[in-house]
Amino acid sequence: MKEKTGIVDTLEERQPYITRKQEQGQIIPLACDNNSLAGAISQRACVYSGARVVLNPVTDAVHLVHGPIGCAGYTWDIRGAKSSGIETNRSSFSTDMKEIDVVFGGEKKLSNAIDELVGLYCPPVIFVYSTCIVGIIGDDLEAICKTASQKHNIPVLPVKSEGFKGNKSDGYKAACDALKQLIKRPQKEEAAEKKPEVKPEIRKPKINILGDFNVAGDVWLVKPLFEQMGIEVIVSMTGDSTAKSISRAAEADLNLVQCSGSMTYLAKWMQKEYGIPYLSASFFGIEDISIALRKTAEFFGSEEMKKKAEEILETETNRIMPEISRVRESVKGKKAAIYMGGPAKALTLIKGFAELGMEVVIIGTQTGKKEDYEQISYSVRDGTVIVDDANPLELAELLIKQKADLMVAGVKERFIAYKLGVAFCDFNHDRVVEFEGFDGFVNFAREVDASINSPVWKAVRQRTLKPEAMKSERKSERAAVKEKNSRELEKNSGELYAKKYKGMVLKPEFLHPKSDAAVESQV
Amino acid sequence: MTKRNYATVNPCVMCQPMGSALAFKGIENTMVLYHGSQGCSTYMRLHLAHHFREPVDIASSSLSEKGAVYGGRESLKKGLRNVINRYKPKVIGVATTCLAETIGDDVPAIIREFKEEEGIGDDPENDIIIIPVSTPSYGESHVSGYIKALDAVVRKFTEKSEEEGFVKTPNGKLNLIPVESLSPADVRELKEILELMAGNYIFLPDISETFDAPLRDDLPKIAPGGTPISEITDMPNSRASLGLGIVSKNLALEYLEELHCVPGHNVPIPIGLSNADSFFTELVNILGCPIPEKYQKERGRLLDAMVDVHKYLYGVKAAVYGDPDLVFSLTTFMLELGMNPVLIATGSKSKDFGAKIRQIIEEIRPELEPVILDGIDFDSLNDAVNECSPEILIGNSNGRYIAKARDIPLVRVGLPIHDRVGAQRILTVGYRGSLELLDRITNTILDATDTFTAPVQARPAAYASKGTEEECMEEAQ
Repeated sequence: MKEKTGIVDTLEERQPYITRKQEQGQIIPLACDNNSLAGAISQRACVYSGARVVLNPVTDAVHLVHGPIGCAGYTWDIRGAKSSGIETNRSSFSTDMKEIDVVFGGEKKLSNAIDELVGLYCPPVIFVYSTCIVGIIGDDLEAICKTASQKHNIPVLPVKSEGFKGNKSDGYKAACDALKQLIKRPQKEEAAEKKPEVKPEIRKPKINILGDFNVAGDVWLVKPLFEQMGIEVIVSMTGDSTAKSISRAAEADLNLVQCSGSMTYLAKWMQKEYGIPYLSASFFGIEDISIALRKTAEFFGSEEMKKKAEEILETETNRIMPEISRVRESVKGKKAAIYMGGPAKALTLIKGFAELGMEVVIIGTQTGKKEDYEQISYSVRDGTVIVDDANPLELAELLIKQKADLMVAGVKERFIAYKLGVAFCDFNHDRVVEFEGFDGFVNFAREVDASINSPVWKAVRQRTLKPEAMKSERKSERAAVKEKNSRELEKNSGELYAKKYKGMVLKPEFLHPKSDAAVESQV
Repeated sequence: MTKRNYATVNPCVMCQPMGSALAFKGIENTMVLYHGSQGCSTYMRLHLAHHFREPVDIASSSLSEKGAVYGGRESLKKGLRNVINRYKPKVIGVATTCLAETIGDDVPAIIREFKEEEGIGDDPENDIIIIPVSTPSYGESHVSGYIKALDAVVRKFTEKSEEEGFVKTPNGKLNLIPVESLSPADVRELKEILELMAGNYIFLPDISETFDAPLRDDLPKIAPGGTPISEITDMPNSRASLGLGIVSKNLALEYLEELHCVPGHNVPIPIGLSNADSFFTELVNILGCPIPEKYQKERGRLLDAMVDVHKYLYGVKAAVYGDPDLVFSLTTFMLELGMNPVLIATGSKSKDFGAKIRQIIEEIRPELEPVILDGIDFDSLNDAVNECSPEILIGNSNGRYIAKARDIPLVRVGLPIHDRVGAQRILTVGYRGSLELLDRITNTILDATDTFTAPVQARPAAYASKGTEEECMEEAQ
């Protein structure tokens, strides 16, 4: 019945955003890349949030939010992006606009705030984010920032992130537009021309990693891999970056783009502006790390580098394989649900789960585009549900219907999974361990193992204690004994009761569930 | 000390719409919808989910650029329709955000229009009740958002005065209305007290189940629990209202008093001995019954504990921060315990805060001269902490940076608490809650002083001569 109306029970207008990969491998059209539906409870945030998550890991910047207090308050130190040095980015700066600023304009307050913060923090760069009301009252951010830049002789960059002007993806673009202004035209072409005797082989190859935010220290497990291959990583954008390291980005020979949703735009621009080619890459899971290293070595065309890459891959894979195999044994065959902000992470997770012997049954993103969903549908098995911009009710129903054992998503989804008795792994800002690189994959595997195999899931199969039900169950199993027992029970004391039931009560039935009946009945 | 005049660094308040959700979520079968851009609802859901560790569904009218230019009428209506379609709530609280307020949407008018179009009436028994509340983020703070939302709820369900045909039928109940969001554990404790003493009471808003839901066989779309609507409509019939909190104005309580002549009394949030005493005394005055033996014993245990720990706490310099009424009650308790609250601060701008705090200091420990601040952010709190040098911080999780930087302990109370588990079960009210808080504060101080005065040696002297573990094993063999 329900299959006819749709995969899940949801709003008519939401149906085109949910599809199931069918057999025969045909491409299923999936609606995506639209603004969220009013009242549908999207898990997405706004333009400002998109810009903020991309830029926030720039460690030595003052991130000044021009708007009312809420926008800055909710984004205070939320990214979990680590810094190897200064941590100015972990503070929350706001102009805290009040009614009077809304009525008379907030320009004066903003420029005063910039002056004040320059005096207190001496930042090398200030990002000034515009919020919803700034877009309405029309403060001229650009002019204020320009004046402030000249006055203080540092880049003060407007980030055009009015919350209502699009969705999270538009925020990514606004962030990249700000980053563009930080990147300086390198001196190297001139230098190279002046000293033709310097052979290109001698110059150390340089790359940038785009779209890695150093959550929990991810980048620190990835950079050394390239350094061992003799490659210098100029900057990771924006994880653990500084205004200075970003300014050098154009010196690179190659950009590796991990979070494609947020950074492809910048990579394309750098290609056009500075002639730096880019490759997409992921540093999660053994397969994707291998591809990334091999692709990079292939790009530079050095045999030595290729050899080195193979060496690294072999040593590292051998090193972590025992632990991966152990986890694989305990989680293989389990079903995973993926709901991510961006498509790149969703795609790489499909491979990661395959390496653990797990199967993906639900996959969705907040900001995927048409070509992303096409790629996703190639990568998943038949029967997998693909969803764009899902909401809590849809996710809950999908988790039950697709019989997911584990969900990978962010905080808002965590408690939906938990309430349904589904294991959960946080791949967003809240995680505290690295998931990238070889050791990161071990961390991921262990976390998946810890959540799936925790005994709490057995405990929560039975949500209400029903002693009578347990009694009657036993009765059917050993009817004769039971009859006698219960007859004695009526006339005998509690002590005898305890004695009679010794051994049985120790192993209540719900600790050894026979089926997943409890889970299914939750619909 | 840095003095800033224009920039706010590390805010100590959240915005008004967030406060409104804390209130609406304590009403039976209620959904919240923010009229504004999509991000507001997501951010506040995230914030509340971090604190309560529960799914938090809040809808948004998802205003786009078009909506912002031509008005959010259609987005709001569509949002309402979709929420009704999917969640089938009995009540929808519509809180505005700064965007909706700035573009000038007349939300009550849009809702009237929507109700006409959909044929929704005003009968709480049969109709979906939609309650608008104006909560732009550029005005005041989450505390005022909470108070305004409760006021809007009470007004909506009790809007008819006696002149307009409302027939008062006394129910003998007691209304209990806090001015700040209490933890689910606090609400449970207060309900238990009222159950025993008053029998009949109406607690608004009741988040004890909605924000601390047990695992159940199913996952309901809207968390069960909350104050029943029938009880809210019954509030004008109550014998009295008791407001918790004396710094902020309790708008709902005042409204019930003015329009429906329900006598209103305000007592501090019952944290600490004298505040819990005032609470019980007020209950006795209103209800005319004695204090149950159970609470006399709990009070006795609190006294016993206060005596037990008085030397650990005497003179300990503390900084306390958070929402105004919570801070007021915590300060009172600390003064009673002999602690020295050197810094007392709230993020909300409040005229009465300083006056009330000074008054209580005058009453209990007039010799103290603490720094009292309102409308602060954490950066100015940090400056003040550096000046006052407290030995312990008491407040929400956002003070952890300061605590860490100064290497002093932090006792977590208030909202948000997202870096520790169990925020929903932190009990601070009543004699029992005060006792739990007292134990927590004392043990935290003991933990800290143990570390400072008697550092654990890496290799205890007793074993120092015996060499490493391996050597020991060898010797043994």
